[in-house]
Amino acid sequence: MPNEWQTVLDEIKKNVTEMAFNTFLVNIKFVSYENNIVTFSVHNSFIKPNIEKKYKSQVLKALNTAGYICDDFNIIVDDQAAKKTVIRRPVETTPVPAPVSVHTGSYQPASVGSIANGFVSTLTSNTGLSSKYLLDNYVVGGSNDMAVSAARAIIEHPGTSYNPFFIYGGSGYGKTHLIQAIGNEIHKLHPEMNILYVTIEQFYGDFVYSLQKKKLDDFKNKYRNLDVLIVDDFQFIQGKAESQNEFFHTFNELYANNKQVIVAADRLPSQIATVDPRLASRLTQGISFDIQLPDFETRCAIIHTKAEMLGQMLDNVTVEFLAENFGTNIRDLEGELNRILLLADVRGVPTSDIIKDITPVSQPTQHRITPKQLIERVAKYYGLTSKDLLGTSRVKDIKNARQIAMYLMNEELGLSTVKIGNEFSKDHTTIMHGVKIIKTNLKSDFNLREQVSELRGKIYAN
Amino acid sequence: MEVEVLQTRLAKALSVVSRVAASTKAGLPILSNVLLRADGKQLTLTATNLELATVEYVNAEVKKSGTLTVPARLLSDFISNLPKDTIKMVADGEKLTISSGKYKSTINGILADDFPELPTIDEKEAVSFKIPADIFKEAVNQVIIASSNDATRPALTGVYFNTFEGSLYIAATDGYRLADRKFVEDVKSEIKAIVPAPALREVLSSLSDSVEDVEVAIIDSQIRFRLGEIEITSKLIDASFPDYRQLIPRDNKAKIKLNKTELIRMTKVAALFARESGGSVVCEAKKDEGSFGVSAVASELGENSATMEAEVTEDGKVTLNSRYLLDALNVISDEDVEYNFSGKLSPIVLRNIKNADYTHIIMPLKS
Repeated sequence: MPNEWQTVLDEIKKNVTEMAFNTFLVNIKFVSYENNIVTFSVHNSFIKPNIEKKYKSQVLKALNTAGYICDDFNIIVDDQAAKKTVIRRPVETTPVPAPVSVHTGSYQPASVGSIANGFVSTLTSNTGLSSKYLLDNYVVGGSNDMAVSAARAIIEHPGTSYNPFFIYGGSGYGKTHLIQAIGNEIHKLHPEMNILYVTIEQFYGDFVYSLQKKKLDDFKNKYRNLDVLIVDDFQFIQGKAESQNEFFHTFNELYANNKQVIVAADRLPSQIATVDPRLASRLTQGISFDIQLPDFETRCAIIHTKAEMLGQMLDNVTVEFLAENFGTNIRDLEGELNRILLLADVRGVPTSDIIKDITPVSQPTQHRITPKQLIERVAKYYGLTSKDLLGTSRVKDIKNARQIAMYLMNEELGLSTVKIGNEFSKDHTTIMHGVKIIKTNLKSDFNLREQVSELRGKIYAN
Repeated sequence: MEVEVLQTRLAKALSVVSRVAASTKAGLPILSNVLLRADGKQLTLTATNLELATVEYVNAEVKKSGTLTVPARLLSDFISNLPKDTIKMVADGEKLTISSGKYKSTINGILADDFPELPTIDEKEAVSFKIPADIFKEAVNQVIIASSNDATRPALTGVYFNTFEGSLYIAATDGYRLADRKFVEDVKSEIKAIVPAPALREVLSSLSDSVEDVEVAIIDSQIRFRLGEIEITSKLIDASFPDYRQLIPRDNKAKIKLNKTELIRMTKVAALFARESGGSVVCEAKKDEGSFGVSAVASELGENSATMEAEVTEDGKVTLNSRYLLDALNVISDEDVEYNFSGKLSPIVLRNIKNADYTHIIMPLKS
């Protein structure tokens, strides 16, 4: 058996100059070995005559050394080209002056490119944007209407209307959808604009890579020649001082040249620890919006839209069930919607039948944890013990953790204030007071919001 | 090699040939050289970048045949600065000595053995046709503007030569606009080949007024253009061109005949106010007023609108990129242009009035 094709290349390399190898021979590919004739392909018709005339003896020698017994070889110019290009002389039956000959290559019509091939797929080149996020399928409600009208102004006149555009809000509230939609719409309206969507992680990755490879200029070229820069998950800039510095300069450069900057995070920049106050104030100097949790009606509308995108019609029972049970995170809602649709499809029954015997994925986990375990986990999260929480200490940190535990027991475990009072050996009015304080503080205190959402994750962890 | 040649003739040939050599990528150093071959009664000059090759034949008095390659840029610059006189070139080993009157120089070259072999076209295999040079120039100029520079979609970076209902058409698109022109009638062969735009640009800039016809020969993997004493060979692009005829709207709602010069002027003026909006202008046809207008609004600068009289059968408004519109209007040869539209978001179609062999489609912008 002949050796690997790579051996042939290595043999050829020994016999010709490096320059000649790299120019003419490096890309030759094995095609067949039959009847003592080797066939290989080259990618460019300019290469073929050079190998045939100049390097024939070297190639033959290498082939024989590698175990291909042959005294000649064939070269074809990349198979693909011959298929995609069609050149056929006419098959004439009546006498004509032109010489008659039929091209022998196999004829295949050039593949039929769809309209999408020609016109649409060029739209999403290298912007990092996903074409599924559009303004048309973004549901506008009371929680985001201001942000959307600002977004429309930005799409019309990027860089001049609201710059920078900063939106913040909880996970799964639709920030990514909105900023990607802005990018996609700008691209449609101003195809010549240079748009880039990155998460701050990607920005950080690019920056570190450019430092490692000493290609800081490439990095600067990439980010500072943009017309529109869209940055997602900005909160993760926390603790990355050098990236933050670089982002600050990139931002200033773009802003000074009237280039649009769009940033999304889960809270205001001033509330992200370690963000330089200078950067924080600049990010919000244009316009900033809080994307809130969509209300019930908006959630219903979102579910309808998502179902439509999947080509499905949903009955109101299903929609309301979903809107009620998966209120806190649109992403979960989407997952559950897909699950129900799939089940309905597999079983061949309407979705309303499915929800009758479906329990939300998160519900069983809700009950898997006992009040005692919850208290334990909250205490652990704050570096305290269950005893501390169950005790009577009025120390601020302990009191705060205790109230959070009460709040979570009420919200997540659905326990009544009387039951919670029994756990803590306290009057139910004390519990009501504690729950109310946390509810009020959650509206304004972003740190608390983050802590509570982390704690929720821990509660549902197993 | 020993050869005598006229300065004017050699300088002209070198200016054509050295363009290909000069644009070479780093790699084989010999690719930036021009190959000189003296044989019979002519001097042949050849340059290639392994995608494109140019050959030019120059009448010369050959005293001793032979070959040598020398740096193209240097030789071209040197010869073009010499007085109009006879130039004598003598090769000795790797050195080329050039003398003309009081001027004499020696250039270090590389032996021709290392120069790449060029692909040849087997005339029996090839499909060939001949086009008057002025038509070739007009047609290619009309189409090449729509080709794309986006290397990630190679098919769109070329001009698509294709036969359809017995005629050869050339077409190009960058995804936002499309140009299609009937190139040669009564073609019996079948052709579907994408020719790289740079190769066609090279042909266009090498076309001098003295050339009457362009002879084209195509085989599976390459195309050759012969323009008088110049031969340009290029590889074809290895990709499938989209089935672009689907994109040409069949039934447009309305057709308007517009004066081209006037429309260019109106578009240029509106474009001044369209810088903020990335060059987008609004073209509006009004049936009741019998007018066609182009307008643009810049929130800071102000606004502009211009109208001209036109026979309008249907109201219609569409937002277009002014640059694309101007590009198309500038290559339309007739004095009047046919403007077709069907809806706010449907492409517009521009055509020549006299001969409907040119179609230019522009996708609208969403406004």
